[in-house]
Amino acid sequence: MSNEQTEFAEFFRGSWEPCLRAVVAVVGSPQSAEDQVAEAFAKAWVSWRKVRRHPAPRAWVVRTALNTGASWWRRRRRELPLADHDVTALGDLGDGLDTTLLTALWRLPPRQREVIALRIFLDLDTDTIARQLGIEAGTVRMHLSRGVTALRHELTTAKNMEAGQ
Amino acid sequence: MNVHDEMSDNEVLCAASDSLSALPVASPPDVEAIMARGRARRRRRLSAVASVSVAAAAGTALALGLTGVLGPARTPGTIRTVSFTLVSNSDGTATLTINPKELLDPAALQNDLAHYGIPAKVTSGSFCSSDPAPAGFSQVVPGQPAGSGTGTPQPVVQPTITIDPSAMPAGAELSIGYFQLSSGEQQANVVLIDTSSYTCTSTPPDFPSPPAGSDESDSLGVRYSGPGPTGS
Repeated sequence: MSNEQTEFAEFFRGSWEPCLRAVVAVVGSPQSAEDQVAEAFAKAWVSWRKVRRHPAPRAWVVRTALNTGASWWRRRRRELPLADHDVTALGDLGDGLDTTLLTALWRLPPRQREVIALRIFLDLDTDTIARQLGIEAGTVRMHLSRGVTALRHELTTAKNMEAGQ
Repeated sequence: MNVHDEMSDNEVLCAASDSLSALPVASPPDVEAIMARGRARRRRRLSAVASVSVAAAAGTALALGLTGVLGPARTPGTIRTVSFTLVSNSDGTATLTINPKELLDPAALQNDLAHYGIPAKVTSGSFCSSDPAPAGFSQVVPGQPAGSGTGTPQPVVQPTITIDPSAMPAGAELSIGYFQLSSGEQQANVVLIDTSSYTCTSTPPDFPSPPAGSDESDSLGVRYSGPGPTGS
């Protein structure tokens, strides 16, 4: 294996899970996300000399995966991407999951999901998220604030209901 | 008890992270399989280049046979200027042929592409791109001219590309950057950009490497002989 292949393999093994979880957080379907992320890593390998110099290569993979999914969906339905069409039923994801937050997360607008996913799985700061998404830092803060507020509301409601029982 | 005030933003994000981390996700596939998938993408693209080069050559020959006079003229289905010809095909695509003997008029090309429903940003001396580029380039530009992409650059005689406006992703447009190089050659780069997020540079992208934000299958670059000392 060449040095380039070894370097890519290390990046791939270390980045697969956080990238996949970030994409799942946005698209809501582990199956779709897995294929989109695999395709994004394949593209990353084709363009590895460029991606390895990218300031946030994991974010490049996530954005490419999301673009791949958006393009696939547009071709099939000629509709705007990232609606709730692809969200997997939570019952299909296994037992023992706390579904309150997952349900709330997947009800958020796509951009809010994207910002939250990049923050919690790729640990990107506001300025880096803004550069990756091509939006202003203030817009990132707005999406993050609104998303967190909505999630907090769902959590609070659920806990108050538990406390009231 | 109301717990609303007890959860900070970080606590909410941690809770979301915990919930998402509990989701079962697939283990990483074999990295060799991923690299093979990438190589397959590259092969598919090169295969498309080969087939379209033959079609482009045939189309160029036909165009040269039918049009002996260059100059601003419009006929139904065809827009012809001194620097390019744009043909509207019956399948909804449009074929752009650049006349290498003349300097490209970016404003005219942008307007005429719009006339055929193709949103584009045509620039001279600069090139705009998004990072990452929107997906779907290979559907919008289904095939690339000889001399483009990877491998040893082979200057083409008359660049011809076919564009399918029906495949244009929402919120995207074509970026066509045109450069006159110090070597006397001309270079054109084409990529999809996100209309709400792109940057422009006055530096020609390395040829045949793709511009930032795209890979080899999501862009094309073509280099061709310039008008020469007696041109334009």
